[in-house]
Amino acid sequence: MKPAFSVLFFTVTSGIGYGLLMWLVAMQLISGQVGELQNFLMVGFIGLTLATLGLLSSTLHLANPKNAWRAFSRFRTSWLSREGVFSILYYPVILLYAYALYVNGGELNPAIKIIGAVSLLIALATVICTGMIYASLKPIRQWHNPLVTPLYLLFSVTSGALAYSILALALEGSLPYFVMSAFLILLLTSLLVKIVYLKSIGKPEGSTIGSATGFTQAQVRLLDAGHNGDTFLSNEFVFDAGAMKLLRLRWLMIILLFVVPLVLVVATYMFDVAPAVYLAMISLYLGLFVERWLFFAEARHVVRLYHGDQRA
Amino acid sequence: MKLGLVIDLDTCVGCHACATACKQWNTSGTIGPLSDQNPYGKNPIGSWLNRIRTYEVKEPSADPRLPSADPRLLSADQKLPQAHQKPPSDNQESSCGSQQFDLYALATKGESALSFAGINSATGAPASKTVHMPMSCMQCEDADCVTVCPTGASYKRAEDGIVLIDQDKCMGCNLCSWACPYGARELDEEQGVMKKCTLCVDRIYDEKLPESERQPACVLSCPTSSRVFGDFDDPSSDVSRLTIERGGKGLMPELGYKPTNRYLPPRETAQVPAMAKTKQPALSKLKKWANRVIAR
Amino acid sequence: MNQPVDLLPKFENHEEQETKFTTCYMCACRCGIKVTTEGNQVRFIQGNPKHPINKGVLCAKGNAGIMKQCSPAKLRSPLLRKPGSERGAGEFDEISWDQALEILTARLKKIRQTDPKKLAFFTGRDQMQALTGFWASQFGTINWAAHGGFCSVNMAAAGLYTTGHSFWEFGDPDWDLTKYFMMWGVAEDHASNPIKIGLKKLKERGAKFVAINPVRTGYQAIADEWIAVRPGTDGMLALAMVHVLLQHDMFDDEFLVRYTNSPRLVVNTPGKVGDGLFLRNADGEALVYDQQRGTLVDGNRVDISPALFGEFTTDDGRPVRTVMSVLADKYLVDDYSPEAAAKVCGVPADTIERLALEIAHVAFEESITIDCEWTDWAGRKQTQFVGRPVSMHAMRGISAHSNGFQTCRAIHLLQVMLGTIDCPGGHLAKPPFPKHIPPNLKPARHMSPNTPLTSAPLGFPTAPEDLCIDGDGTPLRIDKAYSWDAPIAAHGLMHMVISNAVKGDPYEIDTLMLFMANMAWNSSMNTANTMAMLREKKDNGEYKIPFIVNSDAFHSEMVNYSDLVLPDTTFLERYDTISMLDRPISETDAACDSIRQPILKADRDVRAWQEVLVDLAGRLDFPAFKNEQGGNKYLDYKDFIINYERAPGIGFLAGWRGKNGDQHLVGEPNPKQWEAYIENECFFKYPLEPSQRYYRHANKDYLELAKTAGWVGSTEQILIEVYSESLQKFRLAGQGLYDGPMPTDEQHKQRLREHFDPLPYFYMPLEQQRIDTEEYRFHAITQRPMFMYHSWDSQNAWLRQIASQNYLYMNREECGRMGIADEAWVWIESHNGKIRAQVKHMDGVEANTVWTWNAIAKAPGTWGLDKDANESKDAFLLNHLISELLPPKQSFADITNSDPVTGQAAWYDLCVKITPALDGESGAWPQFEPVNPLPNQPSSVKGISYSTHQNVNIKRSLKDILKRGKQ
Repeated sequence: MKPAFSVLFFTVTSGIGYGLLMWLVAMQLISGQVGELQNFLMVGFIGLTLATLGLLSSTLHLANPKNAWRAFSRFRTSWLSREGVFSILYYPVILLYAYALYVNGGELNPAIKIIGAVSLLIALATVICTGMIYASLKPIRQWHNPLVTPLYLLFSVTSGALAYSILALALEGSLPYFVMSAFLILLLTSLLVKIVYLKSIGKPEGSTIGSATGFTQAQVRLLDAGHNGDTFLSNEFVFDAGAMKLLRLRWLMIILLFVVPLVLVVATYMFDVAPAVYLAMISLYLGLFVERWLFFAEARHVVRLYHGDQRA
Repeated sequence: MKLGLVIDLDTCVGCHACATACKQWNTSGTIGPLSDQNPYGKNPIGSWLNRIRTYEVKEPSADPRLPSADPRLLSADQKLPQAHQKPPSDNQESSCGSQQFDLYALATKGESALSFAGINSATGAPASKTVHMPMSCMQCEDADCVTVCPTGASYKRAEDGIVLIDQDKCMGCNLCSWACPYGARELDEEQGVMKKCTLCVDRIYDEKLPESERQPACVLSCPTSSRVFGDFDDPSSDVSRLTIERGGKGLMPELGYKPTNRYLPPRETAQVPAMAKTKQPALSKLKKWANRVIAR
Repeated sequence: MNQPVDLLPKFENHEEQETKFTTCYMCACRCGIKVTTEGNQVRFIQGNPKHPINKGVLCAKGNAGIMKQCSPAKLRSPLLRKPGSERGAGEFDEISWDQALEILTARLKKIRQTDPKKLAFFTGRDQMQALTGFWASQFGTINWAAHGGFCSVNMAAAGLYTTGHSFWEFGDPDWDLTKYFMMWGVAEDHASNPIKIGLKKLKERGAKFVAINPVRTGYQAIADEWIAVRPGTDGMLALAMVHVLLQHDMFDDEFLVRYTNSPRLVVNTPGKVGDGLFLRNADGEALVYDQQRGTLVDGNRVDISPALFGEFTTDDGRPVRTVMSVLADKYLVDDYSPEAAAKVCGVPADTIERLALEIAHVAFEESITIDCEWTDWAGRKQTQFVGRPVSMHAMRGISAHSNGFQTCRAIHLLQVMLGTIDCPGGHLAKPPFPKHIPPNLKPARHMSPNTPLTSAPLGFPTAPEDLCIDGDGTPLRIDKAYSWDAPIAAHGLMHMVISNAVKGDPYEIDTLMLFMANMAWNSSMNTANTMAMLREKKDNGEYKIPFIVNSDAFHSEMVNYSDLVLPDTTFLERYDTISMLDRPISETDAACDSIRQPILKADRDVRAWQEVLVDLAGRLDFPAFKNEQGGNKYLDYKDFIINYERAPGIGFLAGWRGKNGDQHLVGEPNPKQWEAYIENECFFKYPLEPSQRYYRHANKDYLELAKTAGWVGSTEQILIEVYSESLQKFRLAGQGLYDGPMPTDEQHKQRLREHFDPLPYFYMPLEQQRIDTEEYRFHAITQRPMFMYHSWDSQNAWLRQIASQNYLYMNREECGRMGIADEAWVWIESHNGKIRAQVKHMDGVEANTVWTWNAIAKAPGTWGLDKDANESKDAFLLNHLISELLPPKQSFADITNSDPVTGQAAWYDLCVKITPALDGESGAWPQFEPVNPLPNQPSSVKGISYSTHQNVNIKRSLKDILKRGKQ
């Protein structure tokens, strides 16, 4: 599939945004402490901005945006619709949470805790929906994979954790030990799951040009696609980055997304060079872009079989 | 009703009449216009609801090379001859049948079947059979293009199973085209909305048209009558009959979309015995050729 | 469909729509179409279900008619090359029709008054040759022909010199009854829809379909068996089958005795005058040996039993043999054995033998009979028609080779031996065919100022006396048709006109008038040189072809090389006749013709060419177009069609004749004839009686009908010519043994000696005989894609999305050996030049053959296409590699690259070598200078959203959207 920047930016950025907000609220609910109210508002604002920027950019790839508002109508079956609904639903809840805290002088109470918990769930749901939009597409076996949604979720909370930590560092001068440890565990888990995922999509399985044309018992080759220029289908689905490029990018992803942040975070603690985490965040963010680009570039839609590919 | 098409791969000569007939009718039809970009320039491109692809089918290559998990080979493999393999497991009911066109099996049924497949070299011809495959919306029973649509523009008519797109409600997110394994949906660049085959819903129910013409434009036009339109729910319909008689199959059953359209596999070769040779070759008796007495 | 229609909106406003019938003109099939219009726009074009040709179906072109009508390449008004501007520079002034016609009339009047042959009038893919030919003979020039010379004259001539009909327009397989169908060398060409409809019938019935073709696309794709023959060797394949049939006594001796000239006695005196001619009695009647009387008798007699085989001696001591004996001697030798053929054709010997035995089995052991009383030529009642259900069809792959005439004769011989000519299940003629063999019509040769020709320019020579040459053998026609170069050039040699005229050989002309012929591009061999020739000037600065007039509807490459351009209408804007006098649309069981009527009003200052011709005929005072008072006899084309009678009661249209329109085939002019056709969906069908449908070459009832209708000159039996005495006469002339005109040039003598064999024979295509076949080891051939076949539609916005670039298709394994990657660019080189093209791998192509789609490439700026269109940048023309002349041979003068018998352009003979292009070498080569836009040419549009009305969308209710679950 052709990686569209708007979609990469959307999934990565809003992922971080929701992750950050989840940690923000979660830590308050766990600790029962709100801390400096303006810090909370500041972090919340940043998180919400990231999420919103993502959502806005996702509308950029619409060919007919004037109907975008209709996207909320098929909640019953469409993960895209559900994502839309949850992402919009999230605003009043999180704002209500913030307002309540503000009114309540920065003190939690059971009611506010419930609102917070709800916001937590909606954020979670939004990210899951994003993952499911891809995971539900049967014609793309690299997406129609049980690990895709978990990965979206993992990357969201992992990047959110780091974002939360560096903001804490910036605003309160110290890294939150708990969240940082959570980050490390999540990062290693993501790495593990991602590797399993890469292995699983590498397996030679799924549809073939044989099952696509019906001639399953013979060797089938495309002679003529029926239109010798490009078509919507070839533009949309036929994208070849080249095997070597894909392989190099996989390594780049591993390094930017996992190795570098890991090293830097460990370094932060061993040598007490806190600012290193800022670099870790940058590396992680870039790493996520590479990861998302690959997620598209390595996805092979079965329509390609009709255009001559031997297997999906 | 379960309306759809039967397409006969035994007689399709790949003339593209169905494709242009479709374009012609539908550009002024309910799904129209179907725009064309750069129509007279470099790389013209347009919206079509029906495309014809041509394949060459032959015996699996001697040295099967399985695509590898190694991304270094991943892309390369896509162009390599695929290994001879079993039919993909069929994860749905009889509606698609469990096996697909069994060309290789046919090919082993004997000389003539071999030559049907073009797989033997007895005729000195290269071992290959050319197959033309027209493709439009399969009007799937489990149409994910409909379920993924966030706006509700895409839907499957309860009355007859035709999958349609409400042109006023589509937001052009392309998700339905991603959900379609058959490449049946194309975004119209000009209007920013998705287009697809409507089975000419604006013909088949138009009582102002002569009964015989209440058919999809592609069916009306097909010079080899390789396209048949009808109701698969009606066991007496031509489409049902042909599907049973000729072993019509749906494409990519393993994805579980339950496509309604059926493809009829190429028939086995017509068999003709050779006339018995005479014992005594004429050459020898040339000078004393037997003349029958035949009145002029 | 009966459905809750109320749920659906009203999609079409039928009240505002109009539906009319007419005839398609996007190829040579001439299908009936039903056109629905809204305002002056086309809503939908569909096949006419009642029409004899297409029975309701329509091809990809017909379905894209809207885009042809919308083409920006449509010419808008008459154009005159700017004074002082160079031909080919594309600088034109728009002028009025009055100006245009005055200029043309003045020029043509002068020519007609002085030397009529100085006008060469050649037409391309037109369907009105009866009119243009009549016009030419009224003008008084013999320099007229259509494009048959590079299309299919080999098929037409071979048929008309053998069986009295041929393939395609002349006859069809009996699709309904045939059990075995052999298709020879059909490059997705003639005919389009009828073949498709027929093939479907075969497959449904389980009849066997064998495709003989080096390439497996289109029709061949669905064949039961594919025979990948080497291009140009089909004749050998057919004759090897004849060998097998003879070897095993598998021929229809009754058919041969009754309906062919094979019992006739041939004089066997090699080296003497009269050798190889029929033995004739004092009255000139050919003799046979009657087995009952035991004597030689007039072969036409009814009461005899002629011997099919035998050698005899005449009273004057001359040895004679029956045709059949000659034939057996000729083909039973090892030269024609399957083993020998296998080496030539690349088809295994056992396959060749099997095919022969299969057709024999079907012909003789699965024969069919139709019980039906009919009367044979001799007036004898017969009770049934015996059918030999083997049929064949052959086209381009046979005709476009320099051995095509003899190859096509060989295929007919195969049919004749099996007795499958015009019998149930066999190959059936279409009225007005069969004709007597050959049709009794000699090419016109005498011209004088202001005088019409005494006969049509084209005809059928039967002896050297009939040639169009002067006393010392110089050709009389500009294309050298009917000269020693091509004695039986029944369709002329359009492909030689420009080359000859520029050389002034045999003489210079003044005006070249073309209609719908793209001679500056894909209709010429040697395209680049042809464009140069069109620009060549004499020392006095005048062009070697001083004046070029061109009528076309579109901005073709030829327009750019014309001095006066007369814009034609599109096929939806005109009246036309597809006439029985011409190339009718008859079916095997019915005589048919049809018309076109305007569906749309032309939005440009254009006139249909046939209107212009009638107008000019008046201005030039053609006798046939003037009344007693010297006024114009006909108001316009419509009036001419109704009132012109070629013979009393016989005109262009056969239907609804007579004052009240109640007579058919023959009758007085009917003033309301056009209206009658329009009422009847624009076609006329005259079904034959069941007793008239078979054996028409010997069917009294049919022949009498044919004579009344003017299709044949007499009701005598049409005797099928297995042995062509006419060819033998030319051969004798080549041997110096003819009592009449004889060639002096050694090359001519040799061509006559070798190629005018009275029996079909195989010879390597001429180009192969003159080049190094080791070096140029690939046969390069073209096919026309079904979606553009025979069409004028490369600019069609829809069709060009299917193919705007052609590739060179090569055998995959061959490419592997040569290290040529899929989609690599290669150099293709012939003895005549080199071009660059992009390769595509293919399994279904014979290993020594490469092929491509024809006429996709266009000159930049023509056809309304942008200068950087794929057609100009990446597509290529094979034509550049083909010379209009044979490769030079020492001591021999230059001679046309055509079939030595018919002059059919031999563009399938091309042999090439292929070498990979170097890195960085990509794109088609050669590239040409962009052609200037025409005055007021619409600027290229960035997008089309064609629609005749705002679409009526089917709305989905919000309720449904919200309430429905998973579907």
